[in-house]
Amino acid sequence: MTFNKRSLITLAVLAILVTAAYYFLIRRGITYIWHWEKVPEMLFYIGSKSADDPVVRLRMGVLMMGFVLTLKISVLATFFGIIIGTVVGIARLSKEPVTRGLSLAYVELIRNTPLLVQIFMIYFFVGSILRLSAFVAGTAGLSIFAGAYVGEIVRSGIQSIHKGQMEAARSLGMSYAQAMRYVILPQAFKRIIPPLAGQFISLIKDSSLVSVIALADLTFQGQQAVARSYYTFEIWFTVAFLYLIMTFSLSMATQFVERRLSISD
Amino acid sequence: MIKVKNAFKTFRTHDRREVKALVDFSVHIKKGEVVVFIGPSGSGKSTFLRCLNRLEEIDSGQIFINDVDIYGKKVNINKVREEIGMVFQLFNLFPHKTVMENVILAQQIVRKRRRSEAIEIAKDLLHKVNILEKESNYPSQLSGGQQQRVAIARALAMHPKIMMFDEATSALDPEMIGEVLDVMKKLAKEGMTMVVVTHEMGFAREVSDRVVFMDSGQIIEEGTAEHFFTNPIHDRTKLFLSQIL
Ligand SMILES: Nc1ncnc2c1ncn2[C@@H]1O[C@H](COP(=O)(O)OP(=O)(O)O)[C@@H](O)[C@H]1O
Ligand SMILES: [Mg+2]
Repeated sequence: MTFNKRSLITLAVLAILVTAAYYFLIRRGITYIWHWEKVPEMLFYIGSKSADDPVVRLRMGVLMMGFVLTLKISVLATFFGIIIGTVVGIARLSKEPVTRGLSLAYVELIRNTPLLVQIFMIYFFVGSILRLSAFVAGTAGLSIFAGAYVGEIVRSGIQSIHKGQMEAARSLGMSYAQAMRYVILPQAFKRIIPPLAGQFISLIKDSSLVSVIALADLTFQGQQAVARSYYTFEIWFTVAFLYLIMTFSLSMATQFVERRLSISD
Repeated sequence: MIKVKNAFKTFRTHDRREVKALVDFSVHIKKGEVVVFIGPSGSGKSTFLRCLNRLEEIDSGQIFINDVDIYGKKVNINKVREEIGMVFQLFNLFPHKTVMENVILAQQIVRKRRRSEAIEIAKDLLHKVNILEKESNYPSQLSGGQQQRVAIARALAMHPKIMMFDEATSALDPEMIGEVLDVMKKLAKEGMTMVVVTHEMGFAREVSDRVVFMDSGQIIEEGTAEHFFTNPIHDRTKLFLSQIL
């Protein structure tokens, strides 16, 4: 099944859940007073930052600020995840036993410990030594996490390319690095777009874990907003919807790229 | 131009068996010579070619290309490979690149030619192998024979001094073998130094200076193509020829 279909189904399920929430609350005689009208201002509002700030203009509400931060972290972690993953994927196939061993150790370490623990360790241990902000620590944690998974995907992608490709490139006088860059990796990446997209969709969702180090991402802002206002259902549904916008857009973009690249098939 | 002295190559298979692919192998190929290597499957023909540009490494012995010991310590193997074109049984075109891009890629990044210059050279060669009209097609849109001709153009674009062909027509449908052999014959007649693994004895008879019969990693018999047609000496040679002719 394609990501698009999946996202549409998720959207439908979300709608059904909202409807069901209404229905069951009414059935059980719980008078939950819905305040959907409070949601828009958590996204955007016109006003000043504080009482003594005279500038009145369109501003981002808390949820939108969280959305932007989550987006920022996800984009950065995806970017660094691809870089780390490419290096690790190549290292995993190196002739050098030390390079191979180190990259394998990294992959195994990251894949076999919880992301939450990794984020804590980077923030409280590495972060306090290097004086990293929560933003840097959170982004680094997610990048390192994604890098391990991307590394395995890249490795499998490289291995799936017929070895005649490397031989043809090398026989033309290309160095190993040139052959990788111009011949092997472009083909490998084309092949691994679907698993990579899956990985980065997971990454967007996993990014919610950075809220534990008080990084004001979408999940964190949602929690805070709920604690302040008690519009529990409205806020969490909105938060879920905002995550869905990000994952849905990513899967759309992926399909577009995949179609573009399929011309040489 | 090519001097192989006492080369040995042994492979270790997954189950740790030893396979002797080249055994005390020596051969001498002069500039402009066209030498055809024949022999049963597994006799070490591909291994020999692949050791000439170090896609495989010999265990011992020496190989000189233009008097350069290509296994020497200071040798830049990429420089050696620029001078030796290789054509594979399965073409190995780059599937994500068009015909034109296939032919100009190495020219640009290895020979450091300007794009316009590389394209000009590519057009000449694609014309020569008679496939210029497909320059903007992808390999998947070409027949086997067409792909192989592009692969030959790609190798020639580096302006190599030597061309190696490893069963270049074995994977082709019979009706396409001719078009590839024609290109190879044209090259041979232009004086290219060629090392050709093939079972096309017609090709051998028409353009080769010498035919070498290999078995079990060794040279069993060599001579002109005519010699192999008329009076092969060794039983193994006779048996092999009876199978392919
Ligand atoms: N990479 C390899 N690993 C193990 N054995 C190999 C490898 N390459 C070739 N061989 C073995 O070496 C021998 C010679 O192979 P090859 O040179 O490909 O023969 P030919 O091209 O004449 O058919 C064969 O027995 C083959 O199985
Ligand atoms: Mg072979």
